[in-house]
Amino acid sequence: MKTLLINTLLVISLFASAPLLAQDKPLRVGMSGQYFPFTFVEQDELKGFEVDVMNALGEEMGRDIQYETANFSGLFGMLQSGRIDTVANQITITEERKKAYVFSDPYVYDGAQVVTKKGNAEVRGVEDLKGKTVAVNLGSNFEALLQELPYADQITIKTYESNLERDTALGRVDAFVMDRVSASQIIKEKPLPLELAGPTFSQITNAYPFHDTEAGRALRDEVNKALATLRDNGTLASISEKWFGTDITQP
Amino acid sequence: MDVLNVEYMLGLVPVLLRYLPLTLQLAGIGMVLALILACLFAVVRVLGIPVLNQLTIVFISFFRGTPLLVQLFLFYYGLPQLFSALTVIDGVTATVMGLTMHFSAYMAESIRAAIVGVDRSQTEAALSIGMTNGQLMRRIVLPQATRVALPTLMNYFIDMIKATSLAFTLGVTELMGATQKEAAGSFLYFEAFIVAAIMYWIVVELLSKLQHYLEIRLNKAYSR
Repeated sequence: MKTLLINTLLVISLFASAPLLAQDKPLRVGMSGQYFPFTFVEQDELKGFEVDVMNALGEEMGRDIQYETANFSGLFGMLQSGRIDTVANQITITEERKKAYVFSDPYVYDGAQVVTKKGNAEVRGVEDLKGKTVAVNLGSNFEALLQELPYADQITIKTYESNLERDTALGRVDAFVMDRVSASQIIKEKPLPLELAGPTFSQITNAYPFHDTEAGRALRDEVNKALATLRDNGTLASISEKWFGTDITQP
Repeated sequence: MDVLNVEYMLGLVPVLLRYLPLTLQLAGIGMVLALILACLFAVVRVLGIPVLNQLTIVFISFFRGTPLLVQLFLFYYGLPQLFSALTVIDGVTATVMGLTMHFSAYMAESIRAAIVGVDRSQTEAALSIGMTNGQLMRRIVLPQATRVALPTLMNYFIDMIKATSLAFTLGVTELMGATQKEAAGSFLYFEAFIVAAIMYWIVVELLSKLQHYLEIRLNKAYSR
């Protein structure tokens, strides 16, 4: 711990003495590490779409990226208390969040998707959720989307810290709601008996939240610039193709 | 039922083992600090030192009366909102602080009970030969109280090791955090968590052995 501190100070002082000192500090990025295929760990290595995009942004900006992983429910606390600069975890832009943070330009366009256990004949789409128990991730935006449905009072919502896919496959809940992209990916790649139920029911756009301060807005502008470059030169599209076989970075 | 993926489990062992030292460090440092704090609290309570006694009672009441996770969130995410300088507290420090305060509250009471449990005649005998209060505590009461308190203190230590699994909520990747992330990548929940469970279990078993050995040592004076 101490050597880490000394090294950090050393690196900072080296950079400070150099003429180019604008971008010495690494961008501190929070993610859950538990959201396949966006952010997950295999054999101790952090991987996923979010990691690839963030690394590409870091390269473009000439900044190191420092990843901080924590349970999803802790990420906004870390952002709020200034321990990280932004969250790369498919954060959907909402009115509520816009009051507290400034968002970068969207880099993922997606929709909310109902997923059930394979062979569930009762739930074939969002309109069948009446009287059912539905799982969503704690702190995610999908709970709010369900609450907006006209028959929301007839839906029992269960919030999960993680593992909601498994509980749906086990039949503990009737369905879960997640973004279409990762739901399709889970069904394709993982050994769980799940299937998509109906089309998506709400358009969602995901971006990076930053502190609503001068420094936060400056970082956001820097990220936006790099994001535009990566979009123009096709890097974003190719990262998306790699993970999803389709381009989810375009509306 | 799916077949258990033993190959995956074996591959996970060396990966998760890298995070075991941090788990042990959190609990180890937490235990040492909690013990010191608990002893102070217990002495304050037994001697009934004015003001300090009342403060200790409030402290113990709060840290026993609220869940550890609430305390961790309060320190790590709540306090920096009021005092931005407190952001310098990192996740590891916050976890150790939380564990220390939470468990010291419990341990203070069990140490106090052990001290009070030492027979009054021991105190009277010590005072009658002219021992000071300090000597009485150091030489007569505390050694006997230690023997009584040891099993419950070990219990709290074991509990504390398992409580470190909350640290990932503060962004500290210890054994449980590493396991959750690996499980999220493979979707092999049973395999991942059973490996973690066995690791915790082995550590606790080793501690039970240590407890047994310490109890035999402390009981020497009483065996005949």
